[in-house]
Amino acid sequence: MANDLVSEADSAVAREMGLLSEQAVERRLKAVALGSADLARIARARQHILGHIEEYTAGFFGYLGELDDAREFMRNRDAVEQARRLKLEHLIAMVGGQYGTEYVQQRIKLGRLYSRAGLEMRLFLGAFHDLLRRIGATLLANATTEKEAFDDFMSLNKVAFFDIGIIVDVMVFERERVISRQQEAIRELTTPVLQIRDRLLMLPIIGTIDTHRARMLTEGLLHAIRANRARVVVMDVTGVGAVDTKVANHLLQTVSASRLMGATVIVTGLSAEVSQTLVNLGVDLAGLQTIGDLQGGIEEAERLIGYQVFRAEQRPSAPPFPSQV
Amino acid sequence: MSVPILKQGDVLIASIQVAQTDAELLALRDRLTGQVGDVRARGVIIDVSALDVMDSFATRTLRAIAYSSRLRGAHTVVVGISPEVAFAMVQLGLELGAVSTALDLDDAIAQLEQHRKNERRRE
Repeated sequence: MANDLVSEADSAVAREMGLLSEQAVERRLKAVALGSADLARIARARQHILGHIEEYTAGFFGYLGELDDAREFMRNRDAVEQARRLKLEHLIAMVGGQYGTEYVQQRIKLGRLYSRAGLEMRLFLGAFHDLLRRIGATLLANATTEKEAFDDFMSLNKVAFFDIGIIVDVMVFERERVISRQQEAIRELTTPVLQIRDRLLMLPIIGTIDTHRARMLTEGLLHAIRANRARVVVMDVTGVGAVDTKVANHLLQTVSASRLMGATVIVTGLSAEVSQTLVNLGVDLAGLQTIGDLQGGIEEAERLIGYQVFRAEQRPSAPPFPSQV
Repeated sequence: MSVPILKQGDVLIASIQVAQTDAELLALRDRLTGQVGDVRARGVIIDVSALDVMDSFATRTLRAIAYSSRLRGAHTVVVGISPEVAFAMVQLGLELGAVSTALDLDDAIAQLEQHRKNERRRE
């Protein structure tokens, strides 16, 4: 029943989270201590619950409808409609006694739907708690003794917590995925290589440098060196907040690789704190040509290539210093 | 395939066109350092732009060519290391040491000229 309902993307998430194996599901069931005694109690409670699932589902979404924070989610009619259908299936499966990979995949589908539609975790937990309260009330009304009702309810509660575990994990997983996608976007945005003069490039680095970014940065720079036939590169690290041994090594690698291609690299913008950190760490920056600020770096680079920059009114009348070359 | 060595003025130009075996690289080293003396070259340019792999042996041999040529009076410039090769070399920790590098032949010739001027000034 579950397979045709679960999309390719849902399965992919399940696989990435490592939830598709029987062992993973068993470990999760073990975590909530769901045993054969529980399955028997759930089977006993089943008939009472199946008669009320429409009512529970309506109650669940009714509860959400009352909350101001959930208004955004409730306005998304398609999502709510789909969630309603999945919730009905959930309730049927919850008392079905089969808690294998298929069951888990259905939970993942619902969890992804919630996170895509922007339902906050605390709102889901609130509504789910209310749902459990209703189920408890039904069990209490139908059981012969209060003790029996309590036992049945606690067994069902184990399944409920098993579900919550999966759904919370899925929501966290989805959120982390969004974050990592954004980080990727930021990384790509912040490594431009700019040409400021013929054969003079500038590489402003902003933000943190990790191994992945250092690699992309180096590759981008090397290709730009070739494309622009650069002789000098000014690498500005004013925007790099923290520098440690690893970052320093990345910078050194970038400089060495550029040198292999025949370009000189000038590093600028090492702040007082950063340079002190580097000295304290004992990083050997002897191989680096460094200049305090970006302006100084560009002036030095111009000198290396042979440019001389003057203000228009101060231009010397004679051709500028041909003997200096 | 052995690497052709061209002579342009007092500069020797060796353009490596295909991947070289270690033995071929050593042969190139011997021929180059020999010819530096024979033609009284002042500069050596080694073009590696056709290479897509540069291992530690090739790096060491290039360094050996440059150092021994310098002892015989010629300055060596390695030309045309591609971005991929440069990145791989840095990752593997391979270094050319004090060997000069240039982007292309034009730059290498300009560099040799500059080098010669500096030497003349020192004299």
